Amino acid sequence: MAREEYFKWAESLLDPSKTFDKPEALADIKIVELCTLILGPSLPSYLSELGATVFKVELPGMGDTMRSLTPFAKFFNGAALGWLKEARNKYHLAIDVRVPEGVELFKELVKRADVVVENLRAGTMDRWGIGYRQLREINPGLIYIALNGFGQWGPYLERPSYDAIAQSESGMAWISGFPDQLPMKAGIWLADYYGGLVGAVGVLAALAYRDKTGKGQFIEYSQAENLMRAMDWTWLYQHFTGKMRERYGNRDVSICPADIVPDKDGQMVAIGAATDQQFQGLCQAMGKPELAQDPRFATHLERLKEENAVELLSMIRAWVAEKTYAEIDELAGKYGFGAHKVANGKDHFEDEHLRARNFTYYVDDPIYGELYEEGIAPKLSETPGRIKWAGKPVGFDNEYVLKRFLGLKTKKIKYLKEKNVIGKWVDVPPGRKPPEGWDGKSGVLLV
Amino acid sequence: MHMEKEKSWGDWIYELDNPEKNREKPEALDHITVLDVSYANMAGCFATSTLAEFGATVIRIEPPGGDPARTFTPWGYLHKDTGLGYLNEGRNKFHVTLDLESEEGREIFLKLAKRADVVVETFLPGTMDEWGIGYRQLKELNPGLIYCALYTYGQFGPKAACGKADVDVVDQAYSGVVSVSGEPVFDPDNPKPSEVPTKQGNWMGWYAGGAWAAVSILAAIHYRHNTGKGQFIDVSPAEAYGRCINYGITYYYGFKETIPRVGNYDVGVFPYTYFRCKDGFAFLSGFADPNWKALCTIINRPDLQEQFPTIFERLNVDNMKIMYKEIEKWTMAHTYDEIFDAVMDYNKNIGEGVVVPGRISSPMDTMKAENWWVRMALETIDDPHYGEVTIANHAHKMTESPPRVKWVCRPVGADNYYVYAKMLGYGPKRLEELKEKGVI
Repeated sequence: MAREEYFKWAESLLDPSKTFDKPEALADIKIVELCTLILGPSLPSYLSELGATVFKVELPGMGDTMRSLTPFAKFFNGAALGWLKEARNKYHLAIDVRVPEGVELFKELVKRADVVVENLRAGTMDRWGIGYRQLREINPGLIYIALNGFGQWGPYLERPSYDAIAQSESGMAWISGFPDQLPMKAGIWLADYYGGLVGAVGVLAALAYRDKTGKGQFIEYSQAENLMRAMDWTWLYQHFTGKMRERYGNRDVSICPADIVPDKDGQMVAIGAATDQQFQGLCQAMGKPELAQDPRFATHLERLKEENAVELLSMIRAWVAEKTYAEIDELAGKYGFGAHKVANGKDHFEDEHLRARNFTYYVDDPIYGELYEEGIAPKLSETPGRIKWAGKPVGFDNEYVLKRFLGLKTKKIKYLKEKNVIGKWVDVPPGRKPPEGWDGKSGVLLV
Repeated sequence: MHMEKEKSWGDWIYELDNPEKNREKPEALDHITVLDVSYANMAGCFATSTLAEFGATVIRIEPPGGDPARTFTPWGYLHKDTGLGYLNEGRNKFHVTLDLESEEGREIFLKLAKRADVVVETFLPGTMDEWGIGYRQLKELNPGLIYCALYTYGQFGPKAACGKADVDVVDQAYSGVVSVSGEPVFDPDNPKPSEVPTKQGNWMGWYAGGAWAAVSILAAIHYRHNTGKGQFIDVSPAEAYGRCINYGITYYYGFKETIPRVGNYDVGVFPYTYFRCKDGFAFLSGFADPNWKALCTIINRPDLQEQFPTIFERLNVDNMKIMYKEIEKWTMAHTYDEIFDAVMDYNKNIGEGVVVPGRISSPMDTMKAENWWVRMALETIDDPHYGEVTIANHAHKMTESPPRVKWVCRPVGADNYYVYAKMLGYGPKRLEELKEKGVI
């Protein structure tokens, strides 16, 4: 009963339907983004969900290359899905920062901002006169983060990078996948998305420091190094044993049992028990409670030994092969071990639980229409995360931002347009312009 | 000032953010106290390691027998009684024991929490509440408290009460990432056991969960700085990792299809994959039109560019296989170093479009590469208890308040005397009594 009451309380405290009645944690923070692809853009996207105002600056015309990135070249209402994922909540500006008047506009934005995020090659911003060296002179409280593959100095300075390079050079790809297959790149841009996420930790830690001292700072960030930090016991293991960490398929060699195996219908199901208690539950569910007393399996350290682990995992594989996922799911709840089927986009779309939690998030966007996205990960009771709009075409918010935040006169804005210092989308390639059938005004601010 | 401006960007910033100087600089979070009662869960431990690396005082509370997470280690390998996964995430924390299942243990926890800024826990939802030490009770004593609970299914929603355990492999499976990772079946009549959806080798679900927890806690700290208000944070590691998906839900919503598993290809970018070469594997890319042209120039195959001129041709999986074979003909005729030099030479001297090269490095080769040591991504430190250890640092190099590792871990209950004396004024006599009762 007590638990039931707890869940009622938690639900009322965190109720996503109340999201827009509540304030935002970072409502006072303004971020200027000069980024392409994912590593850079994801960081302000995460912080925008928590309330930060983000000005995404692109070059007029083509804008961010990411606007082309979509599976099998399929665009959704004229938007690339890869771009759509990180375009949320941002103001989309197109300023040519390679010309002096563009530099001036950029600096005016930065003067009023708290954070700058960029992911260009090391030194590019400095060369353009809008690097940290110049910007801290006009805004000493500025927090400036530069994200890329290998950092701003060091032996790999000259090397360009991508997500997949960070996955391979860190050693992460090597330890993922099956022994009889090639090292495996994650099926997602892991080093980018997870890079932007941990990059955000640095920005917020710097914000905490600025809240105390008033001082801004520069943060340098390598996505390959970030993956190395997430490779759990790899470095200690190699340090102590001199042996190399290999790849072991779906089996976790440091937690036993933990594996992904097919059920009766061929559905792949993850099964895990991380404590003795969870393991005892699993044994009961398997109808073999005596296994938990078997000296080979009674303690976790015994279960982890290679021959015991192999034996145990093969018993579990045989057991799961006789059950449906629905049966396993029910037993896992009853006996308290871990189990979930390998979920895909369809499962997430249909999952009532994820919908109720605003992970599977419905957006009714004025430009791109109705859509569902991977939405809000953390649920905060006082300042819940949210998606306000899905994204905008290149340069869509120029007039609004220049007027509202920089106070430019209409005449000046017109002049900047005529001189091509600011601009809008091109029609080709796709992904830059508003979708077919756009009425020319939906989503426009300050019409 | 004038002199300073003449320095190259790299030299200028290196002087300011060189990690060798980290330990001389102030810490961002040295005003924050965190209680970490994570149990058998590395997502919680990673969240608090991160806060501790940025300077927070983290008090890691384990049951008197130690956290089962101390046994999460490959094949049971222990270093001084501690598993390697846990050893890696004990950074800068004070380790105390406290039996939260006992009345006295809970009273002590309440006293500690009254003066803490952050609590992190990973029990099944409602456990702490049932013990009278959940957020509902703590916020009455400490309204500014930020309380973060991590669990696969979260604290509310239809599955929150399911009772299933939070294990990394399960978080990875539920996240959706596993469904798009791994080799596709080559021959449907003879599928190999390895041609299945595949997880990341590391605890990626837990790490993503811990990272989102750290981000949310820090956002909440900023909000508290502005308003004085604390709050409750619910993080599911499965959702945290699922947020890293390129485009799963929208693709299904838009096209009523799921993203297939394509091994080391990428359904949104080609070429962007690993190729076999004479002495290993090389990564090559050339996606945007100018970059594709650059790659075709480097491998001297202008015909390929003519045959597949736009992304619409290049993102067709059948065409990918053709292009892959053709590009591989060139890579197989060269060593990795030859490929790297050819590409970098093009980028430097011709430079119309960019091709990005890289090597698939084993973690042992990664550990031997000088770059990571120069940048202090890897560091060997001398721990007072555990001796010489090699760890990866957080990637952030910062000019004012960088993260750092001071010690790697502590044994079970090693800091009981210090923490209980400092926080509650308990001396050896009182601690001895508590020990006899099994509370610590």
